[in-house]
Amino acid sequence: MGKERVRLMICAGTGCVASGSLKVREALESEIQNRGLQDELKLILTGCNGFCAKGPIISVLPDSIFYQVVKPEDVPELVEEHFVKGRPVERLMYTVPAEKRAIPSMGEIPFFKHQVLRVLRNKGLIDPDSMEEYIARDGYQAAAKALTEMAPEDIIQTIKDSGIRGRGGAGFPTGLKWDFASKSVADQKYLLCNGDEGDPGAFMDRSVMEADPHSVLEGMIIGAKAIGATKGYIYVRAEYPLAIERLRKAIRDANEAGLLGNNILDSGYDFDLDLYLGAGAFVCGEETALMRSIEGKRGMPRPRPPFPAHKGLWDRPTVLNNVETFANIAPIILNGAEWYRSLGTEKSAGTKVFALTGAVKNVGLVEVPMGTPIRTIIYDIGGGMGKKGKKFKAVQMGGPSGGCLPESLLDTPVDFDSINATGAIMGSGGMVVMDDDNCMVSLTRFFLGFTADESCGKCPPCRVGTRVMLDMLTDITEGRGKEGDIETLLDLCEDIKATSLCGLGQTAPNPVLTAIKYFREEFESHIHEKWCKTGICSELTSFEIDPELCTGCGVCARACPQKAITGEKKQPHKIIQELCIQCRTCYDRCKFGSIKIEPTRKMAGLEEVGKSGAKGGAQS
Amino acid sequence: MIELTINGETVQAEEGVTILKAAGANGIKIPNLCFDKRLRPYGGCRLCVVELEGQPRLLAACSTPVQAGMKVLTDTPKLRKARQTVLELLLVHHPLDCPVCDKAGECSLQDLAYEYGKPEGRFIRWRKDKPADVRGPLVELDSNRCILCGKCVRICAEHQGRGALGFMGRGFPTVVTPAFGEILECDYCGQCIDACPTGALLAKPYKFKARAWFLEEKDTICSFCGCGCTLTLGLREGRILRARGEEDRGVSEGNLCGRGRFGFDYIYDRERLRTPLLRKDGELVESSWDEAMKYAAEALKDIMEKDGPSSLGAIGWHRASVEDNFMLQKFMREVVGSGNLDFSGSLGYDRVQKALELCFGSMPPHTIDLSSPLGKDVILVVDSDISVTHPIFGLNLMQAAREGAHTIVSDFRQTKLTRHCGTWLRNAPGTGVALLNGIMKVILDQGLAKMDRAAGREGFEDLEKTLAGFTADKVSAITGVSAQAIEKAARTLSGAKSRIITLSLGASENSKGADLVTAAANLAVLLGDGPETIQIPAEYANTYGAWWAGVRPDAGPADSRLRGGDKGLNLESMLYESGSLRGLLVMGDDPVATLPDNANIVRSLKGLELLIVSTISMNETAKMAHVVFPASSWAEKDGIFMNAEGRPQRLPRLIEPTGQSLPEWQMLRNLSWAMDKEINIRSIENLRDEMDQAGTVCESGGTARFSPVGQADLSGLTSKDYPLTLVIRDVLQHSGSLSTRSESLNLVASEAILEIHPTDALNTGISDNDHVKVTSGKGSVYLKARVSEEIMEGVVVTSSHFPHGRVNALSRPSTNGTSQLTAVRVELVK
Repeated sequence: MGKERVRLMICAGTGCVASGSLKVREALESEIQNRGLQDELKLILTGCNGFCAKGPIISVLPDSIFYQVVKPEDVPELVEEHFVKGRPVERLMYTVPAEKRAIPSMGEIPFFKHQVLRVLRNKGLIDPDSMEEYIARDGYQAAAKALTEMAPEDIIQTIKDSGIRGRGGAGFPTGLKWDFASKSVADQKYLLCNGDEGDPGAFMDRSVMEADPHSVLEGMIIGAKAIGATKGYIYVRAEYPLAIERLRKAIRDANEAGLLGNNILDSGYDFDLDLYLGAGAFVCGEETALMRSIEGKRGMPRPRPPFPAHKGLWDRPTVLNNVETFANIAPIILNGAEWYRSLGTEKSAGTKVFALTGAVKNVGLVEVPMGTPIRTIIYDIGGGMGKKGKKFKAVQMGGPSGGCLPESLLDTPVDFDSINATGAIMGSGGMVVMDDDNCMVSLTRFFLGFTADESCGKCPPCRVGTRVMLDMLTDITEGRGKEGDIETLLDLCEDIKATSLCGLGQTAPNPVLTAIKYFREEFESHIHEKWCKTGICSELTSFEIDPELCTGCGVCARACPQKAITGEKKQPHKIIQELCIQCRTCYDRCKFGSIKIEPTRKMAGLEEVGKSGAKGGAQS
Repeated sequence: MIELTINGETVQAEEGVTILKAAGANGIKIPNLCFDKRLRPYGGCRLCVVELEGQPRLLAACSTPVQAGMKVLTDTPKLRKARQTVLELLLVHHPLDCPVCDKAGECSLQDLAYEYGKPEGRFIRWRKDKPADVRGPLVELDSNRCILCGKCVRICAEHQGRGALGFMGRGFPTVVTPAFGEILECDYCGQCIDACPTGALLAKPYKFKARAWFLEEKDTICSFCGCGCTLTLGLREGRILRARGEEDRGVSEGNLCGRGRFGFDYIYDRERLRTPLLRKDGELVESSWDEAMKYAAEALKDIMEKDGPSSLGAIGWHRASVEDNFMLQKFMREVVGSGNLDFSGSLGYDRVQKALELCFGSMPPHTIDLSSPLGKDVILVVDSDISVTHPIFGLNLMQAAREGAHTIVSDFRQTKLTRHCGTWLRNAPGTGVALLNGIMKVILDQGLAKMDRAAGREGFEDLEKTLAGFTADKVSAITGVSAQAIEKAARTLSGAKSRIITLSLGASENSKGADLVTAAANLAVLLGDGPETIQIPAEYANTYGAWWAGVRPDAGPADSRLRGGDKGLNLESMLYESGSLRGLLVMGDDPVATLPDNANIVRSLKGLELLIVSTISMNETAKMAHVVFPASSWAEKDGIFMNAEGRPQRLPRLIEPTGQSLPEWQMLRNLSWAMDKEINIRSIENLRDEMDQAGTVCESGGTARFSPVGQADLSGLTSKDYPLTLVIRDVLQHSGSLSTRSESLNLVASEAILEIHPTDALNTGISDNDHVKVTSGKGSVYLKARVSEEIMEGVVVTSSHFPHGRVNALSRPSTNGTSQLTAVRVELVK
């Protein structure tokens, strides 16, 4: 230990593992061995660093140098230059695109500069598998304080005062929830953690569980004392193997250290914690369904009341909080409610983690104070649109229960109430950015497809309603939209929202409602003109080459899988509509913008093109 | 009580009830498809949504509790629209095949669609058209019509404790199906059929038989077990087509078991007798009533003159009405002048009463309260599978367990009750007495009951003496239940604020005797309880009624006990003691098929000069008769059944009698006329008047005392030649032998199956469906085998319902009030 001078924090979050961080580690290990530096350099696998767009990521401590997109072949150079000769490798640092200037330190990279890390306080800084490192960064101090110095009422009061609201999506005040459960009298109470993150494009909870599992445990220990629970479960989806592995280790370590189990820290307080693996049903993120799932039953929601705070898991008082909520608890206890409230808005205190994905340049995990405008997240942190020349079109917030917001709402601050007012929801924090290559009707259809698939089937508005909406949207995207469909959809949405049993059904219409609200003209052009102006809905699109703009370079013709493009070199080309399958390849390849998206000829009544035969074949 | 307003009207409601219930209690209907008061609120159909003034959200009335001052609106334009949309969605993929659906006309979905629906749906899509699942017996599952309200799934799992149906898949493709989509294998109680609001679950025997609006529905009482459930029968053109339970009706409150629901068709058995039969030249041949009556009257008179009235006897029937049985004893006592009267209840109910009297002194006839398990702290079920013998009482046992009662079940085999109970004491068959004595010993030694009061009771020293031999270790050795478990059961039982002890006793079971009842009564007395703690249901539909009517050798109607010399011969003497009688009249019952040791019975019957049998269908006893009278079935005559609660329930005449069949009381009246005796009974009303005059049952309660019993020694039961213990138990689909004439029930269980433990099966080389020869000291029978892990090693189990199974050829009657276990040898028939 004494000789150790440098720590290499290799990101082993799922994103970086996917881009090869484990291979980089192997390369580093053998390189360090070869050079006999094993006593001086220590390799540590961390949880998600957040800047997933640039993985694999290595940050070097103590000088906080940030390397990105490191490949195994970069390793010899890195070790030689940086760790032997002491010259950090600029080539592997983040470079500001405009200035071409390498930024060595993480804190100065724009992606990180605008973030405030509370939930993600330990990300990339500690070895998630090491409880000691967590403890070294003030870990379990809050738990010790709560267990030994605070009465349950004090804990609840602090949490209430902090103003923290549940990070699972609905934003219910956490302190109030705990209060209800603490006042329920029962022989047994349960505290559950919801790690069943299921929204497409969301990975906040996974990252927290992978990067800092002990922060979740500590939050739960404090919560358990507050409500009087002696048994808890973390419900994690089985598709998160790394999170499961790390949580298992964390629970084992905490048990061994006496931080879980009987008589924690000699406080006389018991809390037994287990993992429960979810089988991947989206609806099991709904609290009552999650509880049925833990009971070993089919995960279907139950009507409330009785509320889980009175009758939850096995009909005992139960509190369920989200991973991110629990990760917030220890700092609140340690630093106080005032400290927590110092960030965020009046009604939405603290910070919020978002999973920024989609058409944005810097995809990754970001934590910002509540109230930060969406624009800041997308442009300052996310770096704007990823593809050159593409314009921002919409941002999808809250996953399949949320909605799409247009450019005009980009200055909306991210807090529960402001986002709800737009018709989208904060949700658990998924933020999918879309550029003008996205068709909103098709996107809405995608989300409806998800909810229709994931509906548990218990209540008809959700089970059949989502299916009917999906069918209508499919019709619209395939040219069978009818006059009045928009009104019917809106009407149906209203009834589904009003009558569905659980949050899944009640929010399933949100994507439809917001899409129609903000992008109605796209629906109308699909229905009336049979024209998908983005060229996504292949049935409502034909591609044509503008002879004025075409240079005859032949890129499109070579790329076309159907050999549907003909033309002489240097002469304007032409698409043979009978052969075209609307795959968009030519459109994406053309550097001169000469490919135009036109309404389908067939739909426009130009039957003589007779492309239906070719189409039929392509479809099947 | 709190006050709230519903649709502007102020109503009262109990605190904590749901809006749906409060509205219902005040006559306000809220539509719903998934609510069933037997089940936990489900909130699935979303039709019961209501508005609360000042609340934008709609609330499900089925799961939202009322609050004081709440302003509920149940019928507003907003709600109508919401309900309309939900119904519209339910109908999008519904096949709308009402013209060929049996449910049409009584379909909740149809009714609601009619009430709320638009004439046209906006979302016309393809109709579901999966073929219906018709593979299983009795129940057909057409998932196209299913609206996934989950009532069937929940009634089966939550209420019946079976869980044979479940949801498979998710979202729109979800279907209700047996596990893994296999053939439905369940209790075939059909409760799911009644619960289904659409035509997704149908009774196969009723399929395509009638449109609902052509059915005439009439209530009657089930003729099988002692529960006395109300059947709502559907008739068309004079034929009973189906039975169902109507919510809240009768003691069963709408619940039915499979026997009750499907078994009524025994009355349409092909062997129903249409004319009297007379034995001529050794053959039974059809005759006229005149001829048969004349023959019977002459023969009876002949024996009366020759050998005296006491050489004649009669056996009544637990399924004939109170009137029939009353008439039988009147006929015997007044016309014949003989007190040789008895019926099958002497091997069951009558033994219970006598055993209880040993401990509680003279007491009113023992009746149970079907709802007694509800709200009890602890329930002890001793060596009995009540869910099979008395399914509806069993439902209450399970409901009590669900609602928090600690249920202790002692049984050698795994049953529905052992699966749903709090404690299962797995004792060897026939060792219930030892187990109860062991529990009493713990209570005694540890002073778990009010000992000073117990010590003051008569017989306490005897009890102490008897129990001295029942230390936990010894009991553990006899029963196989651990000493700790016995001690824990004793503590649970004695610590209970309220409790019941229940078991079943009857001729169709051989693993327990009256001694078990006495032991249970001793336990109750030790705990300071009265006789109401003991809940032992009378076996069959009118066992209690026949007993009450005085078809007993030692008592007349209304339990008027007879003194020494007036007593007649009992069932055992009449049937098993060859030569005790010259002539016998058997009313309805089939002792040759149902009572143990049938070879002995056959021998006795063969020695008779005159055997008169009345029966609805040709049976084993009637085959030996000299005269056979065709009897009207339970649905073909007016009468009263008294259930195990002692509750008289009227059965109307629903259909025309089959052929020339007559109610038994009429036969006996005619017979007395044929014998030139006027008994002043012309109509059933005359009979009822006389019954009324029989007075009320003696009500005096005696002083409780101890009457300790020891455990019968079972150590020498099995031997090298007969290594297995044969236990005879009822099966769920049958009750006595009558139900084996039901075509529907036979689809599920049509033969006696020998269940054998896997280890014993391995030792004997037996596997499922093998034919086996079962031999006891009494004889041999051939049965089909089923390997079952539910039973204990060393034990084989079968049932005695099936006359052709002849299981009662192996068994022996109880002579000393103990269990009648038989040792057998099982061999594979190659």
